[in-house]
Amino acid sequence: MTLLTGAFYYMAGASVVSALLAVTRRNPVHSMLWVLALFLHVAGIFLLLGAEFLAAVQVLVYAGAILIFYLFVLMLLDLPDETARPPFGAHWPLAAVVGLSFVALAWLADVEMLAPAGIGVAPAATSVETGPPQGSLSKIGLELFGPFALPFEIVSLVLLAAIVGAIVLARKRAAGA
Amino acid sequence: MIVPASTVLGLSAVLFGIGVFGFLARRNIILMLVSVEVMLNAVNLSLVGLGSHFDDLRGQILALFVIAVAAAEAGVGLGLVIALNRNKPGASVADLTQLKW
Repeated sequence: MTLLTGAFYYMAGASVVSALLAVTRRNPVHSMLWVLALFLHVAGIFLLLGAEFLAAVQVLVYAGAILIFYLFVLMLLDLPDETARPPFGAHWPLAAVVGLSFVALAWLADVEMLAPAGIGVAPAATSVETGPPQGSLSKIGLELFGPFALPFEIVSLVLLAAIVGAIVLARKRAAGA
Repeated sequence: MIVPASTVLGLSAVLFGIGVFGFLARRNIILMLVSVEVMLNAVNLSLVGLGSHFDDLRGQILALFVIAVAAAEAGVGLGLVIALNRNKPGASVADLTQLKW
């Protein structure tokens, strides 16, 4: 068990470091590669938390599709002078203050309010384990197509609207339109 | 669960704060969108952590929906970036000061 705990703390530290590097690198492509490292480490954390399907989706959809899409657009735009510009606006200390205060507030709520209420300790095991273990693909599939069928369909509509919207936004305007 | 849920929530808070900083401080519109992805990942982490803590699959289902909406957001956001880039080359938000071209 200590090996798994150590693995979790490695993933946590590595994801924080990659996120920090991703938002501070001057070269956008380097930023993207650090975000890739962040996504892979978060997928590892999902795996450790027992969410195998979500870890796979994280790698396939986030790292495989969304990030590659960002890289495509970045290379399409061709920003040669991007590395010569300052990466932050002049107001970045204010942004740092906002980010740090959010972390402090969330951390305070986490430690001060949630921990005494027993969220820090594992709940008592009440259910007898029957069938496939938690997080397995079949259970998620049954949930998705049972109680969550309507939200699932709505998400597919959202994706369809996004596809149509992206095509309409990004295509060349017809002359006179 | 190998670590307490409060540890996962703390990590999620730190990642979200980094995303907030990146979104507010970066001047490149693509990297601002990427910072939003970092924030969404932090939220997914807290959803999965709490779902694993309460032994409830709904955390993972919600995280799946968040991933789907993030994909939609990336598509529309980058479509907007391409449309803006056609009007005015570059990806800096400091250039976007006009309401109409």
